[in-house]
Amino acid sequence: MSAPARPEGARLELVSVSKRFARSGQGVAAVSDVSLTVEPGELLTLLGPSGCGKTTTLRMVAGFEQPDGGRVLIDAQDVTGLMVYRRSIGFVFQNYALFPHLTVFDNVAYGLQVKRLDRATIREKVERVLALVGLPGYGGRFSNQLSGGEQQRVAVARAVVVEPRLLLFDEPLSNLDAKLRVQMREELSRLQRQLAITTIYVTHDQEEAMAISDRIAVMQAGRVAQVGTARELYGAPRSAFVAQFIGRVNLLSARVVRSAPGRAAVEVWGREVTVAAEPQAAAGQVVSLVLRPESVTLRPERAPLDGEEVTAIGVVRARMFLGEKVEYAVDVAGASLQVVSYDPLRHGLFDVGARVRIACAPVSLRLLGPEPLSG
Amino acid sequence: MSAAPRRAPRDPALAPAVLLIWVAVALFILYPLARLLALTFWDGGPSLAAVREVVAGWQHRRAFGNSLLLAALVGGAGTALGFAFALLAVRANLPRAVGIGLDAAVLLPLISPPFTAAIALIFALGPRGLISYHVFGITSLSIYGLPGTWLSETLTYFPIAYLTLKGVLANIDPNLEDGGFSLGARRWRVFRTVTVPLAAPGLANSFLLLSAASLADFATPLILGGTKFPVLPTQAFLQITGLYDMRGGAALSFLLLVPTLAIFAAQRWWTERRSVVTVTGKVGAATRGKSLSTGAVAALAALCALTVALVLTCYLLIAAASLVRALGADNRLSAAHYAHVFSGGLKAIRDTLVIAAVSMPVGGLFAVVLGFLVARTRFPGRRALEFAAMLNYALPGTIVGIAYLIAFNDPPLVLTGTAFILVACYVFRYSLAGTRATTALLAQIDPSIEEASASLGARRDVTFRRIVLPLIRPALLAGMTVLFIRAMTAISATIFLVSLQWSHVTVRILEGITNLELGQASAFSVLVILLVYAAVLFSNLVMRRLNAGGIGQGGTLLGG
Repeated sequence: MSAPARPEGARLELVSVSKRFARSGQGVAAVSDVSLTVEPGELLTLLGPSGCGKTTTLRMVAGFEQPDGGRVLIDAQDVTGLMVYRRSIGFVFQNYALFPHLTVFDNVAYGLQVKRLDRATIREKVERVLALVGLPGYGGRFSNQLSGGEQQRVAVARAVVVEPRLLLFDEPLSNLDAKLRVQMREELSRLQRQLAITTIYVTHDQEEAMAISDRIAVMQAGRVAQVGTARELYGAPRSAFVAQFIGRVNLLSARVVRSAPGRAAVEVWGREVTVAAEPQAAAGQVVSLVLRPESVTLRPERAPLDGEEVTAIGVVRARMFLGEKVEYAVDVAGASLQVVSYDPLRHGLFDVGARVRIACAPVSLRLLGPEPLSG
Repeated sequence: MSAAPRRAPRDPALAPAVLLIWVAVALFILYPLARLLALTFWDGGPSLAAVREVVAGWQHRRAFGNSLLLAALVGGAGTALGFAFALLAVRANLPRAVGIGLDAAVLLPLISPPFTAAIALIFALGPRGLISYHVFGITSLSIYGLPGTWLSETLTYFPIAYLTLKGVLANIDPNLEDGGFSLGARRWRVFRTVTVPLAAPGLANSFLLLSAASLADFATPLILGGTKFPVLPTQAFLQITGLYDMRGGAALSFLLLVPTLAIFAAQRWWTERRSVVTVTGKVGAATRGKSLSTGAVAALAALCALTVALVLTCYLLIAAASLVRALGADNRLSAAHYAHVFSGGLKAIRDTLVIAAVSMPVGGLFAVVLGFLVARTRFPGRRALEFAAMLNYALPGTIVGIAYLIAFNDPPLVLTGTAFILVACYVFRYSLAGTRATTALLAQIDPSIEEASASLGARRDVTFRRIVLPLIRPALLAGMTVLFIRAMTAISATIFLVSLQWSHVTVRILEGITNLELGQASAFSVLVILLVYAAVLFSNLVMRRLNAGGIGQGGTLLGG
């Protein structure tokens, strides 16, 4: 949209921000030494399990919490000590936090009224933003007359109408049902790109994060474990935590035979394979290999071999038929391997107890550095 | 992820608000008490002379003993009566209408002016009482002294026990009682071994609340106790107004302070142990209470019906006395008493209404701001402020009245003789209900609502004015209603603070009684009751309009 305005996207920097909370007498680190940069107009997601510090980080950006250490910079201006109301942010809360005593119009107009804009301008801006979020004509209603999805749109409209430098979302979709969640996340993504407001989005739902983010910062125990695009995180996780949090994963233990920059020869299932390795691993080291369940194919035991593939013989221990896919647990070389097979009507099913040949391409294997990885 | 504790950064609007409240509390709560203690213990140097002198007087020692005895008796009888009402209301599966009627009748004594029960008992059971003399022909029955005071205070204060215990009984999971039955216990045994032990902290709490109320009561013993049964509040009053002995009055109020603080401490101790009662959180399927046999229900119903009848009779007698020449002697209808109320008594009514009208918004705002600061902000001395702010509420009115009289009679702050001293007294004594309602309401409002306002560029004071205040209107209303009720019916502190310029209806009621113009006193009382009832009804109507829910009306309106 050309309006409410196309704010210049701001650049946000967190410089080794830390926060401790006093819990039962002793300090507990909620956020430790987090450094992040969000580029103008970018949507960055903070992703992690509950208690990882993602919401606390977001609240420090907003100014609801004061960091114990580190700095928050918006467009190179240090806002660490600045009150919330002077930071020019738009915050969308998990529970929407609509003012229950005000109509939709007054909720959205609130930020403009606080800025003392004149009535005509306020009316114009509010009506335009309500149309933008798909709620034209809803101005006279109260929040208890709206559905969850509609309340969410009002909350977004209220946050963007003030043309904030930053837009902050705290698990905004977690109170919606699954179907609506998918629809709303697409709308949010479209709206954010249209307005080009620099955005931080907090969620624990990896699919949601992958669907809408330009980049994702995976957080673990108060630290940033890895930052990257969804594809980078999925394809080249740098720790077992990230590998396990983004999608499902098999971790195979393997020994490094030879090492070269970016590559390593490892021994898997009695065969030597060259795989991508970053950071570099030393020869002789025992490492973990990442193998996604959908990268593994199952074939009958006596099926012909393809020379490029890494293969082994295993026994099906469990099978779950889920319609579009089948999930197997296969015992291979003393370990259990997760395998997902799509389009089962075409590929057929393997019975529990059956001996199968498992196979994967060398590109599907990726070496993990020794744990724990730096953030 | 949302479990993170929240802390707001320092806000420039916070400091002035906290400072303002602290100054007010220091000036109108701490300073008078300090002056009271100084007068008691300082005579050119630390001195115990005043206390020693007071303790030496046998009449004072008797008053001390009487006060404690009366407090224990009223606490016991009132708790027993309240427990009977609560059992009937919660465990007897009464029809809804009966329950509502019970509540309405029981509320009556709580919002009536002081003296009401006392005057009515004189009409009913006095030397020429309608019941004692005209029905039963007894003349030897003595309503004055300990028995009358005890009966009157019990009737006045048992509703506090009822409201407290009703909540306690309702919170006991019926499954616990069913558990007792399933193990083969009979009703009486379940009652003895399950119900009563679970209610025990509530019973103790109720006993202490009632004892404190009785200890602080000034009006009832003044009328029914007389010289036969002196208690501390009346002794302190006589010491000051009769003997002009301010220091002696201060020392007597110190004697009153000691048991009051002991009860206060005991009550805190008990409420902290209360965790036994409501731990389950999830209450089992609402089974019908079975712990009362039909016979027990009948006995309870009879007792409660008798009590309600007695209470209603009291009020009917007051109404009747206000409408006839002299109840019991000359029962011809007459408008003379009301004519007097609206001529000679008009000034007192006007003064009272003006003072109540000023106290309401000032006290309501004070209560709400204090509640907000305590519940939603962090600042050094927050706990201390919370404690200091409730002191005047917890202390007997006699102490507060004498402290105000001492503190504001000479510079730096001379307020005696003004309306302001009465307003200040009510604001700082009766705001607690509003503060509690505010904190209770705020506990239900997610802090993210206020954070949303801040994120949209509103300073803390703007957020308070435009978001918080509208959301806690029900608490403001409840607080103001309580202030109105108390300002209309207060006597124990008021009596020290009225002047020629500013009078009060309750003082006129007292004058009516001491001048043996009971008809006039009754007419004043009826007027006050009607005004207060109208205020409660109006407030309930507005409350329903506000439609915010979540506020227990009875409990909140009366401020516990």
